[in-house]
Amino acid sequence: MEQTKVLIIDDDPDYVDGIKSILNKANYHVDVAYNPKDGLAALKSEAYGLLLLDIMMGRGAEGVMVARKINKDPKLREIPVLIITGIREQMAFLFPGQPVHPHLLPTDALLEKPVDPGILLEKVDALLKEAAGKKSKGA
Amino acid sequence: MKSTPKILIIDDEEIVLDSCTHILKSSGYQIITAHDGMTGVETMKQENPDLIFVDLKMPGISGLEVLEKIQEYDATIVPIVITGFATVSSAVEAMKKGAYDFLPKPFTPDEMRLITRRAIDKRKLVLETIMLRKEKEMLREQFAAIVSHELKSPLGAVQQSLFGLVSDLEETLSEAQKNKIQRLQSRISDMIKLVNTWLRAISVDISTIRENFGPTSVAETIAKAVESCQPHAIRKDISIKTSLKQPLATVNGNEVTLVEALVNIIGNAVKYTQMGGQVAILAKAEGNNVLIEVKDNGVGISAEDLPHIFDDFYVGKTKPENERRSGVGLAITKRIIEAHDGSITVDSELGKGSSFVIQLPIPK
Repeated sequence: MEQTKVLIIDDDPDYVDGIKSILNKANYHVDVAYNPKDGLAALKSEAYGLLLLDIMMGRGAEGVMVARKINKDPKLREIPVLIITGIREQMAFLFPGQPVHPHLLPTDALLEKPVDPGILLEKVDALLKEAAGKKSKGA
Repeated sequence: MKSTPKILIIDDEEIVLDSCTHILKSSGYQIITAHDGMTGVETMKQENPDLIFVDLKMPGISGLEVLEKIQEYDATIVPIVITGFATVSSAVEAMKKGAYDFLPKPFTPDEMRLITRRAIDKRKLVLETIMLRKEKEMLREQFAAIVSHELKSPLGAVQQSLFGLVSDLEETLSEAQKNKIQRLQSRISDMIKLVNTWLRAISVDISTIRENFGPTSVAETIAKAVESCQPHAIRKDISIKTSLKQPLATVNGNEVTLVEALVNIIGNAVKYTQMGGQVAILAKAEGNNVLIEVKDNGVGISAEDLPHIFDDFYVGKTKPENERRSGVGLAITKRIIEAHDGSITVDSELGKGSSFVIQLPIPK
């Protein structure tokens, strides 16, 4: 079976490395971009089955900016996105007690860092299935 | 406070205004005057003085009324009343209404300067206190942000690397080696949880809780809280009995935080009760309140710990076996309940058990 291509956009190499190992092991092909600019370029030059997107990058919530750009692109916005973030606590400031999921894109899910391998693979799988379902409905 | 303190004098007698202005001007204050109470209040709103001298006996609105208006407008302004000898008793009345001091007529220039100097010092202290309080609040928020980033993210990165490592080496590692990594992971996971709890304690901001208030069912809140504590209770063979006296009103609140508050209390009851013990939850409407009581027959709280259990990071002497404590659960709970205009009280005896009672107002 052909490997599903996954892109990780995250500026912290330690997280990237840990997540990549887990995905590689589960037979995903993983590419990495360490900043939003490279990430968007990669998304445009290659077809990815899934994007793992960090929120707090660079000078602030640059991941949100990436999500907005993806959302504006009719082709890119079809890609399912798994948001991986350590900022739930700060967002909980605004919504006390609630696990916050901002729903930035049509097909997305949110996981808090550090990402547990079992949960990561489960979510990735669920997102891919959800996206495939939407595609076949649309066709 | 600006470098030149601003003083407003309100008196209907021209001669008093003149002499006061004269006395104080030479001491380097900026003086504004008003001939009656109403004008005085208007002037106060435009000029925002540091100090206000106000005559008690004036035509139009009285000095006492002016005092009330000052309090309403800005309680940090320091008011001093000017009064005739015959009206010392009304001066006392004025002090009760918030006047900082009184100046009996006739007074010498020195008396007036002395009182003014003291009042200015008082004003400085009040403003400083407010500033310090604001600073403290800011530090708390900054601390939360720093803890979040500087502690959480490296811990998370270590954990993520360990996840990756286990994944890479799954076939290579011996059981003993896997076990070691697992222990590493469990310790790190505990640390991350601790940081999260601390963050939670710092970030429970009453004003933000209140923003998403709505009708909240007490019965449902209790049911959800019990459900979340049940696994722990089952492990310890503790029965949680809930008895609700229907009809239970709906309160105005935020379910998520109320559940959290109850989970803290019920969770504690389970934590501090021996194997096979009992936790009882009773809820009923009483007058304008809903009462929720959580009672256990556990280890109880010692008399010396009792006054402090709602303090941030307070950890009492009675230690549950094999249980972890952060010392913030009850502090958070209290803050949540108070945000709901409710109250929480505790009654406990060492060795006999504890009873927590939460009171929440029923909206009219």
